[in-house]
Amino acid sequence: MELFLQSIINSFIQGGFFALWAVGLVLVFGVMGVVNFAHGELVMVGAYTIWLLHSQYGMGYIPALGMAILLVLLIGLFMERFLFRPKREDPLGGLINSIGVLFILQVAALIVGGTGPAKQVAPPFSGTLIIEEIVRVPYQRLFSIAVCIAALSLLWFFLTKTKLGWSLRAVALDREAAALQGININRTSMIAIGVSGALAGLAGALMAPISNIYPHMGHNVIITAFIVTIVGGIGSLPGAVFASVLYAFLHTFITAYFSGTIATMSGLLIMVLVLIVKPTGIMGRRISE
Amino acid sequence: MAKTPPAVFQQRFSRRRFLGTTIAGMGAALTASMPRISVADAKTVKIGMNIPMTGDYAPWGLPGLYGCEIIANNLNAAGGVEIGGDKYMIEMASYDHGYDTEKSVQGFKKLVLEDDVKMVMMLGGSTVASIIPWAMRKKMLTTTLLPSDITPDTPYLVATCESHPLYNVTGVEWLAEKNPDLKTAVIITTNDIEYGKQSAATYKAAFEVAGIDVLDTNFHGFDVVDFAPIVSSLLAKKPDIFCMATDVYTTPIIEQLFHQGYEGKIVSCTCDGYPDVIAKTSKEFVEGLVFQFPDFDDPKLVGGDVNFPDPGGFDAAFNKDHAGEWSAVAWEYPSILLNWVESAQAAGSIEPTEVLQAMKSDESPAHTFGPGKWWGAALWGLDNAVIGDWPVVAINDGRARIQEFRSVYNWCETNVAELSKQMKDLDLRVA
Repeated sequence: MELFLQSIINSFIQGGFFALWAVGLVLVFGVMGVVNFAHGELVMVGAYTIWLLHSQYGMGYIPALGMAILLVLLIGLFMERFLFRPKREDPLGGLINSIGVLFILQVAALIVGGTGPAKQVAPPFSGTLIIEEIVRVPYQRLFSIAVCIAALSLLWFFLTKTKLGWSLRAVALDREAAALQGININRTSMIAIGVSGALAGLAGALMAPISNIYPHMGHNVIITAFIVTIVGGIGSLPGAVFASVLYAFLHTFITAYFSGTIATMSGLLIMVLVLIVKPTGIMGRRISE
Repeated sequence: MAKTPPAVFQQRFSRRRFLGTTIAGMGAALTASMPRISVADAKTVKIGMNIPMTGDYAPWGLPGLYGCEIIANNLNAAGGVEIGGDKYMIEMASYDHGYDTEKSVQGFKKLVLEDDVKMVMMLGGSTVASIIPWAMRKKMLTTTLLPSDITPDTPYLVATCESHPLYNVTGVEWLAEKNPDLKTAVIITTNDIEYGKQSAATYKAAFEVAGIDVLDTNFHGFDVVDFAPIVSSLLAKKPDIFCMATDVYTTPIIEQLFHQGYEGKIVSCTCDGYPDVIAKTSKEFVEGLVFQFPDFDDPKLVGGDVNFPDPGGFDAAFNKDHAGEWSAVAWEYPSILLNWVESAQAAGSIEPTEVLQAMKSDESPAHTFGPGKWWGAALWGLDNAVIGDWPVVAINDGRARIQEFRSVYNWCETNVAELSKQMKDLDLRVA
């Protein structure tokens, strides 16, 4: 029973991270039509920023978290303006550019952090919440899940209740029709990648105190984000969130009761099944030419 | 009217003599400032390192190069090493294969054919396997940190320093002797053959010999982003000992043990980043954590049978220039370099086959932590690994400190059958 209850808590925490990783990827793909392979590396930059500013230079965790969001947001804006916009009519070009950014950011991390063992950040919120000696949740993870929920709620509010959010959704639905309605595509793309970058920076900053930080940590992020995005429905934000929680539960419980390797294989298997049975994903929609 | 200088003075300081004296003096001053060995006498011997310096495996490559450079600089500053009546300066030649087998072959050939190195040091695993056919044909002296790379067909491949993962047995043996009440253990490790499974099999054998039941062994991939589910699953077995057989994820795993309220003993293959572990948990939580790799400023490394010159000075020099990049290989590759120097001096030659012959003819070769013995035929089919004593390290009051040195060789000689059985159970190659 202890393991079962602990696994439920572990699933929710993992689900929060998966959702943060995935929605940024979905947003950029939906609005800009670009598969941003460097998304995992943007998360990595967020984590390195916390390591550098908080652990090495003593900046407070919250200001460092703000700096991580800002830095990754700026990298995202740079990518949109100079790498994705010139290749807007060439999705393959954008994809290749993003792979280039992936390598550049990995090397930059190596230069900043050096080699040696993975970097570590001491959790700013120490201690553990113990419920009836059965379930234990570190305060750092509680903080992370609270911030994840807040960030995703803000995103939902932004997309559904503000004009800018509506314009983002309109461009995601049909870029040409949106442009004909007077929506500025360039500005909308900048907002999309800005939000995506900010979420990636936030995810990295939240992960930093609870995981290994190393230049290639983005690999696992992007693989999980792709699984979740495809299962949820490419381009569907609610689908990405739903699939994140679903995948987190599946992965956590299979890991706890069988093995992590079987859990990862199961995730990939489900992705393949979804592609065969319902290629649009759980909440995706079919687009007719 | 100006005084005319005396004739003798005029003669002594004529312009020609002045110029001649000045040039000669400058020449003498320059000569005096040069190293004691004249340029004509200085020969150079290159030692190769075909290692990962970028990528996931970089922590087991680059720190070793830094360490070798410190040792080579020290030897060169002392005038070089005398081999066969000649003085040699040591130069390190390196190639970054990024733990890619094709690049490993490329790098190995480059080091041998272009740089003319006399020995190639490598990490081990698939990158060694890929170079074996060519290296053995070339009779190139090659070293690995994974003695499991040795087969009957690798006569020029030796493991003279790290005996991964055989040294792990000493930690379990020591812990069981000090705590006879410990009866159960769980093991967590990566699911690769080269490091994770070898280490898990060794720990299983050590626990079996010590009379401790292994309740569960978790093999995980390199894609784990959150260890909470795995740790929850293993702790549900209520083990007395939690054993980490590989070190890549030591810190997040111990952090989870801390948060999930584990109160038993912790054993780890390595724990290079233990200050980070303490920062994420507490000094009290990690008290008594047992692992196998000492800090090099440990007082017990001074004197005795330890074959490493000034470990404390080496540790300080490394951390001065490369703080935060220390891993066990920082001293392991230098230790192999020192083995080579000793064997080359014994051989009176720098040629790979002659140096190897001198190495193998030494019945009690110098191992980092004392005299060793050539071993391995019973497990890998060839006695090409030097195995001797290895330290048992435990964290005491926030510092990693050597508890005692124990004989890996004696354990292996006594328990090789159990070790072979555990290796076979995990489908690992044994002779």
